Amino acid sequence: MDNGSREVKTDFIDNPNALIEKMENMKKIQKDFAKFSQQQVDKIFFAAASAANKQRIPLARMAVEETSMGIIEDKAIKNHYASEYIYNKYKNTLTCGVIEENSSYGTKKIAEPIGLISAVIPTTNPTSTTIFKILIALKTRNAIIISPHPRAKNSTIEAAKILLKAAVEAGAPDGIIGWIDEPSLELTDLVMKNSDIILATGGPGMVKSAYSSGKPALGVGAGNTPVIIDESADIKMAVSSIIHSKTFDNGMICACEQSVTVLENIYDEVKNEFIKRGCYFLTPDETDKLRKTIIINGALNAKIVGQSAFKIASMAGINVSGDTKILIAEVERADASEELAHEKLSPVLAMYRAKSFDEAVKKSEQLVHDGGYGHTSSIYINTNETEKLNKYEEAMKTCRILINTPSSQGGIGDLYNFNLDPSLTLGCGSWGGNSVSDNVGVKHLLNIKTVAHRRENMLWLRTPQKIYFKKGCMPIALNELKTVLNKKKAFIVTDKFLYDNEYTKPVTDKLNEMGIKYNCFYNVSPDPTLGSAKEGAKAMSDFEPDVIIAIGGGSAMDAAKIMWVLYEHPDADFLDMAMRFMDIRKRIYSFPSMGKKAYFVAIPTSSGTGSEVTPFAVITDESSSLKYPLADYELLPNMAIIDVDNMKNQPKELTAASGIDALTHALEAYVSLMASDYTDGLALIAVKNIFKYLPAAYENGAADMHAREKMADASTIAGIAFANAFLGLCHSMAHKLGSFHHLPHGIANALLITEVMRFNASDKPHKMGTFSQYQYPHTLERYAECAEFCSIKGENDWQTLELLIGEIEKLKNKIGIKKTIRDYGITEEDFLNSLDEMTNLAFDDQCTGENPRYPMLEEIKQIYLKAYYGE
Amino acid sequence: MENNIIAQRPGKKIYRVGDTAVKVFDSEYSKADILNEALNQARVEQTGLNIPKILEVSKIDGKWAITSTFIEGRTLASMIKEDRENLDKYIEKFVEIQLQMHSKTAYGLNKLKDKMNEKISAADLDATTRYELHTRLESMPKHKKVCHGDYNPTNIIIGVEGSAYILDWSHASQGNASSDAATTYLLFNLEGDTEAAQLYIDLFCKKSDTAKQYVQQWLPIAAAARLSKGNDNERDFLMKWIDIIDYQ
Repeated sequence: MDNGSREVKTDFIDNPNALIEKMENMKKIQKDFAKFSQQQVDKIFFAAASAANKQRIPLARMAVEETSMGIIEDKAIKNHYASEYIYNKYKNTLTCGVIEENSSYGTKKIAEPIGLISAVIPTTNPTSTTIFKILIALKTRNAIIISPHPRAKNSTIEAAKILLKAAVEAGAPDGIIGWIDEPSLELTDLVMKNSDIILATGGPGMVKSAYSSGKPALGVGAGNTPVIIDESADIKMAVSSIIHSKTFDNGMICACEQSVTVLENIYDEVKNEFIKRGCYFLTPDETDKLRKTIIINGALNAKIVGQSAFKIASMAGINVSGDTKILIAEVERADASEELAHEKLSPVLAMYRAKSFDEAVKKSEQLVHDGGYGHTSSIYINTNETEKLNKYEEAMKTCRILINTPSSQGGIGDLYNFNLDPSLTLGCGSWGGNSVSDNVGVKHLLNIKTVAHRRENMLWLRTPQKIYFKKGCMPIALNELKTVLNKKKAFIVTDKFLYDNEYTKPVTDKLNEMGIKYNCFYNVSPDPTLGSAKEGAKAMSDFEPDVIIAIGGGSAMDAAKIMWVLYEHPDADFLDMAMRFMDIRKRIYSFPSMGKKAYFVAIPTSSGTGSEVTPFAVITDESSSLKYPLADYELLPNMAIIDVDNMKNQPKELTAASGIDALTHALEAYVSLMASDYTDGLALIAVKNIFKYLPAAYENGAADMHAREKMADASTIAGIAFANAFLGLCHSMAHKLGSFHHLPHGIANALLITEVMRFNASDKPHKMGTFSQYQYPHTLERYAECAEFCSIKGENDWQTLELLIGEIEKLKNKIGIKKTIRDYGITEEDFLNSLDEMTNLAFDDQCTGENPRYPMLEEIKQIYLKAYYGE
Repeated sequence: MENNIIAQRPGKKIYRVGDTAVKVFDSEYSKADILNEALNQARVEQTGLNIPKILEVSKIDGKWAITSTFIEGRTLASMIKEDRENLDKYIEKFVEIQLQMHSKTAYGLNKLKDKMNEKISAADLDATTRYELHTRLESMPKHKKVCHGDYNPTNIIIGVEGSAYILDWSHASQGNASSDAATTYLLFNLEGDTEAAQLYIDLFCKKSDTAKQYVQQWLPIAAAARLSKGNDNERDFLMKWIDIIDYQ
């Protein structure tokens, strides 16, 4: 490396020690700058931009004289652009402190500077790039250290000095802008390794160094912009735009056109237009001479960069007039083996002929791939040619695709277009090995902190549109089918027992009276199967009802819901519908909308499942034995009719099992993660009434219609509660226990509920459930509230819980429910053999997610074991 | 011994003494360079490549000398000269031997990048050009292949029994094989043998499955390294190869 052990000077940076000291100092200065207000920063930003603007012409002159590249008048435009356009773009942008706030969502975005930026400056655009990088650094309260290219160090440093002076006069801390006085690769590497972020502009070598420095880098790479002139293009505009761009600063902008591909049928016209406007077409011999002059061993001859067409032609021994604008070589190959297919950084253009638009696109793809992956591409076309345009936009792997625009001026943004950010550092995406694909701006120099307050998710209360209740209400409620809804054809779904025992007769009588045609399907088994649902759906499709009436227990209502789905959406996939969700409001699967073909009426004949008011249905695929638990509010019945006359003659066992099921619904809904004030009242009244009326309903049956009716209502009320607050672990475990060991669902719940309550009540659970409104483990208090509402009270919450559990055990005993799983005749061997699988499946059950205590697998297993042995 | 001189290079003379070749260095020659050359050769010996074996490092009449086995045979260079018609065949052999060498690694050899960085710094170039070259070198992939550094047909001996030996390990290093190929390509061009140069680079790229551009990227570096030798008559040619620019 170049620098050995020269004397350390702090004011003149030409050695590693001085540089490191300078950078350490700048980091300290930046800490002060980081405290500046938006107002202070904007004043500095304005002053620096103005100063650069005023010095644009002297700086342009200096850069051209120092580098012997480019054109003063064009560099003046670049400097003008770098100051004025950047200022205009960001003058009102908030970059300090709170830049965004949303009080209803409780979020806030705070912008902080990154620290010390290192800026590597190229030779081709030294002053404009320096102005640009310093301005965006000042606007974002960062310090910036400039690493100039040795060829352009004086003009680069002069630009930095002008901006520093203006910034300091406007209040910026002295030393907030720094530079290397004697650049070398060693110092450039040091700058990159010791800064907080790198803004690298330059060739691939420099960009690679930046990326390998170990610091975050915004590096950009080589461009090789291909242009297509389509036959639909405005040829005069296209040709002059290309000349305008290609001659700009003698072709040194990285987005500049390097080749033009012209469709065959306008080729001559385009060529003549180029000639007319002062371009020179090389003969094949001259083309060969030019190749040898501009490309050496596959790389660009440094001597031709940024030179005029005339000068380059002279170097190649080609005679052209002094005012020649561009040298154009007609070539055929677009791959890297053709010298002229490379980036030329000079007013030299390759021209290709294409037989078709597709061929032209292919050539452009190749040129981009070999020399300018991710950079810029350009096309001249009639913008009504949308098909061609779409094809082109899809094919180009470039981060800027310019339409009818000179690409030098178009690529840097905001001059010839809207919404392309003004910038002199153009990201090339992953294609170009870059971390950004847009034009680099202030947003890339900020650390944005997002402050997010704890908020609770939206909840809801959803019920069927109509819930009709009171003894004897069914015929009156059904009137609406005719008078309000004007239905013509009803499809009744029930089970065989109810059908045989004429439970459907009051419904069919009413339908007859109203003149509504009907059909009845009663082949529904206790665990409704997909086969029977399909059979019912087939009958439905044949009959084409506009109303479905489900009358029965949970099975008939669930089966009817599935038939409804199949009737409305014959192609529905149950596996998708059964996909588990964490929050039903955010689920992945979007349930198809229901009700286009038929209205759904649910009439329960037992008091337990609540299916008449819930969005749930369970169906078993008998071929694979898979159970599909479906849940979506689309499955809510439209009308529920709770008429105790339909429940009068329930057998005792059904009263017991469905009654205890309803109690479990209410208890789990009350302690669920999603419980709310809207569901709590419903759950409490359900619990209270079940305690009070279930024993009498069980004992006296039809003889105590008051108790029966209270149970019917309590069951539906619990249904509304858990339709919205959901259930918990007891149901997860009961689902699996019931299906593995053929226990009625209500009984399975009854055997597990008290152990699950003890488990949930822990004030230091292994893990609590995840839902924002559940702030800390408080399920014990919730059980106690529930107990107290039922006038059960101990000396403390633990005692109250045990008293509540005692009452539940007493209730179970009164209605003939046995104490343990073992008591139901399940052998120890069978039970233990199924235990692991039941445990895994219960863990994965949809109900587990809403349980207030998140269960570990081993914990689930222990609960099963306790419920089996009763100890 | 004077009668048995077999080669003479600036600063050193090589003699044949019985079954050995003795390289005697001038008294001004850097001791470190001499010992380094012997060490390089010893390290490469361990890779199993066919090369003369180091027998002794000693002082003869007060001058440092490296004694190694003498290889009976002819240099590839002289064979090419006599039988130019079969240039293709010789270059193919030449590339195969080089690729076999590149397939080896030798722990402890100097790193090619360090060597090249030093040579760029030592070359008579302006700061801008050195900066460009250092940057270019820095961005090149780092490898650990055995590189000869002066691989040309005069350093290949085809022994009487037909097997090939590589001589002169004074410039050996470990690094990127494409750099070694770029140096070889440059040496052919400096000899004015563009035909052999072209044949060589095409065959090297084909047989090693390397893109030509990738070898070409090393050319300015190889040229700068050569420039550091300070041969005035090569300067114009080398400068043309050096003064190129990275695409922006």
